[in-house]
Amino acid sequence: MFNSQEIISTIEMVKNEHLDVRAVTLGINLFDCISHDLTVFKRNVRAKILRNASDLVNVCNSVGDKYGIEVVNKRISISPIALVGAPFSALQMVEIAHTLNDIAREVNIDFLGGFSALVEKGIAPGDRALIEALPEALAQTQRLCASVNVATTRSGINMDAVLDISRAIKRASLLSAADDGLACAKLCVFANIPQDMPFMAGAYLGVGEADAVINVGVSGPGVVKKAIERAIEEHPELDLGQIAEIIKNTACKVTRVGELIGREVAQILNIRFGVVDLSLAPTPTVGDSIGEIFQSLGLTSIGVPGSTAALAMLNDAVKKGGAFASSHVGGLSGAFIPVSEDLNIAEAAANGYLTIEKLEAMTCVCSVGLDMVPVAGDISEETLAGIIADEMAIGMINNKTTATRIIPVPGKRAGEKVSFGGLLGEATIMNVPHATNRDVFVTRGGRIPAPIHSLKN
Amino acid sequence: MNKIIITVLGKDRPGIIASVSKSLYQMDCNLQNVNQMILQNQFAGFFIVDHPDSLTIEAISQQLEKDLAGKNLKVHADVVENRGNGKQKIDEETFLITTIGPDQKGLVARFTEIIASYGVNVSNLTAIFKGGDEPTANIMSYQIAITSDTDQTGLFKSLRQKASELGLDITIQHKNIFKAINKI
Repeated sequence: MFNSQEIISTIEMVKNEHLDVRAVTLGINLFDCISHDLTVFKRNVRAKILRNASDLVNVCNSVGDKYGIEVVNKRISISPIALVGAPFSALQMVEIAHTLNDIAREVNIDFLGGFSALVEKGIAPGDRALIEALPEALAQTQRLCASVNVATTRSGINMDAVLDISRAIKRASLLSAADDGLACAKLCVFANIPQDMPFMAGAYLGVGEADAVINVGVSGPGVVKKAIERAIEEHPELDLGQIAEIIKNTACKVTRVGELIGREVAQILNIRFGVVDLSLAPTPTVGDSIGEIFQSLGLTSIGVPGSTAALAMLNDAVKKGGAFASSHVGGLSGAFIPVSEDLNIAEAAANGYLTIEKLEAMTCVCSVGLDMVPVAGDISEETLAGIIADEMAIGMINNKTTATRIIPVPGKRAGEKVSFGGLLGEATIMNVPHATNRDVFVTRGGRIPAPIHSLKN
Repeated sequence: MNKIIITVLGKDRPGIIASVSKSLYQMDCNLQNVNQMILQNQFAGFFIVDHPDSLTIEAISQQLEKDLAGKNLKVHADVVENRGNGKQKIDEETFLITTIGPDQKGLVARFTEIIASYGVNVSNLTAIFKGGDEPTANIMSYQIAITSDTDQTGLFKSLRQKASELGLDITIQHKNIFKAINKI
């Protein structure tokens, strides 16, 4: 039996605080689909994904109905195409992209991730073909997501790959100019990419994973914000240690909801349950924002001095709460600060509170990195590569995941508005100082060596 | 030993449980299970007791009324049937139906009528008032047990339809979600 307070708090979390399961992502291993023949490979991939995923959406919906918690996104992650499609050329990679896009439509999911390459130490022929194929593949499809891991703490930063990927981003942006460079919103560049992340655009299934696995991404920035506000209203004298405790407890509850639903989906589909990714992932909806949490904590806006400390506290409390709630926590697990996907963060950028430099500083203490950042279309490949290299260095040195999802918007300048639609949201294009410089640093190529603390054995 | 259930109702005040349990103890009755609740200022207590073969249910009832005389309490005693052990059936799934909206007459009657028409048992019913003068803050929560024989889709559809007719917000959730969030 549950008492009144338990019933009210649960209903409030679901109804008014936007508690949902942000993503149930089915990871599917494609290594047994490999063939040197493209037709055979595509047929194998299609058969395997349909065999595993045809019931995914229905099962997620029925489990969501049972608990009154919406599973907002149902998605699929696959083995890196650069590995399983290694024999193929860039043109053939584009064909594979179309096949994957069609399969995603067939199983009724919005995004399929894993058009990916792992090139932190070097670029193999399959990786090269995939990176070359990225602009066309992303511009010509709607549901395919791509990721490229260019750095790890153990291997350093592959600067050749950083420059190659910057060129690919610029070209993808131009090819999708009619949609304000939307293709780039489906491409993440990573340092220390997690193998089990359920969130797009970076989700792929790592090579050490099972044949099929269910990973769950929970969310709940609205729930955390309300919990902080309620507590401060009742006890205005609360200090930050006590507020961190409230965030931790709330994250624990949110994680348990995700695990409950993920495990049930996995059980019904007879697929192994993987991890809960307990990231606070916002949407462009009022009340479902990471940025609003900063205001609840007493800051004018995300981006003002104090923001990095607040984010560090938030991120840590979320991890601690989640780690207590579930023994299988993985993926990114922290707070996301995607500019266009969070209404409040987009406003902070538009109003001058949040600059790209502050954003970069904040990524030192949270998960992901420069996420959904629209920049002027005339940014040079070298500057873009410099931004990516900086972000990768933060990940490499701090032994954490960082990523960039930067969108050069063709024909638009800093300060202009851009809208990507749906969950991708809208934002004001951020100013990048010296954006058109063509510094040679990044063109020197090679590999920035791994840091000394990578020598752990 | 034989099992009976004793119900005690009246205005809440200190010492009710003490008086009842003392009286039962003096009759050599063994308390097996006790539960009480207070609705506003009204006390309701339920006592399941084993009593010696030498005592009839009428004798216990009369003795209790005598011991509690002057306290303005109503006592009722009944035999507990042994059918069923009160435990949940294996294939039962518990759901909580919560309606939120303006208070109106016949609310519980309308929903429980639907639930009963599908042969489903209400195991707990709670009215929650969040406080304040907010007219929409009336919350009713029905805990029901669904079995594999229940037409779950039909029941939930009927309940949602009724809530919509009455202008109420309805949520139907498996109990495990409340457990996951609250019972850590």
